[in-house]
Amino acid sequence: MNRTLKQFRRFNPRAYLSLMRSAVMENMQFRMSVLVMLFGNMVYLVVIYNLWKAIYASVDTPVVNGMTFSDTMIYLVLASAQFAFMEAYLVWEMGRGVQDGSIIVQLIKPMSYGTYQLFYILGGNLFYFIVTFIPTFVIVEIITGWVIPVGVNLLYYLISVIFGMMINFAVDYFVGTICLYTQSIWGINIMKQILVTFLSGATVPLAFFPEILYRIVMFLPFHAIYNTPLTLLIHNDLPVAQVGHMLFTQFVWVLVVFVLAKVFWKVSERVITVNGG
Amino acid sequence: MKKLKFYLRIYFKILSQDIKSRMSYRSDFIISMIGMVFTNVVEIAAFYITFLNFPSVCGWTYYEMLFLYGFSLIALTPMQCLFENNWNLSRNVHRGDFIKYCFRPINIFFYYFSEIFDIKGLGQLAIGIGTLIFAWNKLQLPVSLIIILELLIALIVASLFFIGIMNFTAAVSFFLVNTGFLIGTMSKFRDYAKYPVTIFSKGFRFIFTFIIPIAFIAYYPSLVIMRPNEIPVLTWLAPVFGVVFFYLSYKFWMLGARKYSGTGT
Repeated sequence: MNRTLKQFRRFNPRAYLSLMRSAVMENMQFRMSVLVMLFGNMVYLVVIYNLWKAIYASVDTPVVNGMTFSDTMIYLVLASAQFAFMEAYLVWEMGRGVQDGSIIVQLIKPMSYGTYQLFYILGGNLFYFIVTFIPTFVIVEIITGWVIPVGVNLLYYLISVIFGMMINFAVDYFVGTICLYTQSIWGINIMKQILVTFLSGATVPLAFFPEILYRIVMFLPFHAIYNTPLTLLIHNDLPVAQVGHMLFTQFVWVLVVFVLAKVFWKVSERVITVNGG
Repeated sequence: MKKLKFYLRIYFKILSQDIKSRMSYRSDFIISMIGMVFTNVVEIAAFYITFLNFPSVCGWTYYEMLFLYGFSLIALTPMQCLFENNWNLSRNVHRGDFIKYCFRPINIFFYYFSEIFDIKGLGQLAIGIGTLIFAWNKLQLPVSLIIILELLIALIVASLFFIGIMNFTAAVSFFLVNTGFLIGTMSKFRDYAKYPVTIFSKGFRFIFTFIIPIAFIAYYPSLVIMRPNEIPVLTWLAPVFGVVFFYLSYKFWMLGARKYSGTGT
């Protein structure tokens, strides 16, 4: 490795920023697909709105497990918007890279594979945060008459969602590494996706989970991806101590999953077999 | 008749090649199968948790909803197993690989879909059948030869609708470049097929019945078995609609395929 490369390896914010920028630009190329995705998301929202309205209409009490109809709706709408900007399909990316050998191009780059993917994905997340999450949030606010308070909770959310994004990334990275061994993408990816969305409370709010399952879920890192940021955003009456505790727990999870993913990758890097080329 | 025999023989020949090549990636096959079963089990768990807190929805009990769920899983299987290649159409057209299908002396539509048989769809089928039998038992619905026959017809009709929807969506890529994302969005609609269409407002009930006919994937056909005393007219019309809809989707698909002229390489 020559000297310029070594210098490059040291922390270089410009390299990371330009990576993020290229991800944003790349996504802007596919305007049509963004529009269709937004449309698909709207239909999804209409369906769950009708479904939960029918569900709540069939019970006598307006509050079920501490959640009213509008609580449930706001939670699910924002969860789906958050999913739309967070899901980066890294497992696909890594699996494909192994299958067709293109991973090699990234491995010889003067930046570690994980760092490269992290900043590339953060760029994509940022783009979709602006085009999907913010509009959805504003629409929800207008429809509900500013039910979600605008104040310090937005700041908590931003911090928390960045942690959430990082946990999501590390989980993806860990699962993607499994693909190095199995060379199977579809099955691994679908299992990861369904497990993360279910255990993080993105499909059914965690408040509806039965007691035992709820306790188990709280021991896992997944709830910190969706449930923690959304709770911090929706409820503004949380005491500061609790907010601090939630953010700290999230932070610990970020460290744990990052270390796990990194170690697993280091161990597995050697097994990459690329056929031909 | 002779033609049918000919096509059947070719179908199994092409198919066995695909299965052989799949089997050489055994771990991928096993993991995909586990993934399919696992996904459906978790989805049923989510379904169960949701309805744990609520006894019924719009007059539909938990087991009736479960019946619809199982029914929809089975109805989605033929698309999953036999017409899986729709997912690759956009890429094949874009890259120019599709041209190879145009040079065979057999029906393009037939040849294209015979190439892939998705075995993991059978995992979904098994779960669907299990769910349906469980719900059937709990609802104490009668069983007779005629009812089983009705069920089979209802399932075939339902799957024709879903295949039709996917054919239409995939065939768009013959006319517009790079529309692979459309099929992903459209296939999400199948998740909504498992709910009774009565939960939707009038406007959406119309859309889901006549424009994107997902209400025919589970709701209308399964009424024959679940509520035999109050079958709506649309259920009776479903077989006709299904065949016509599938035929139209086939014609649309073929229109695109005939128009296809490769990428020039």
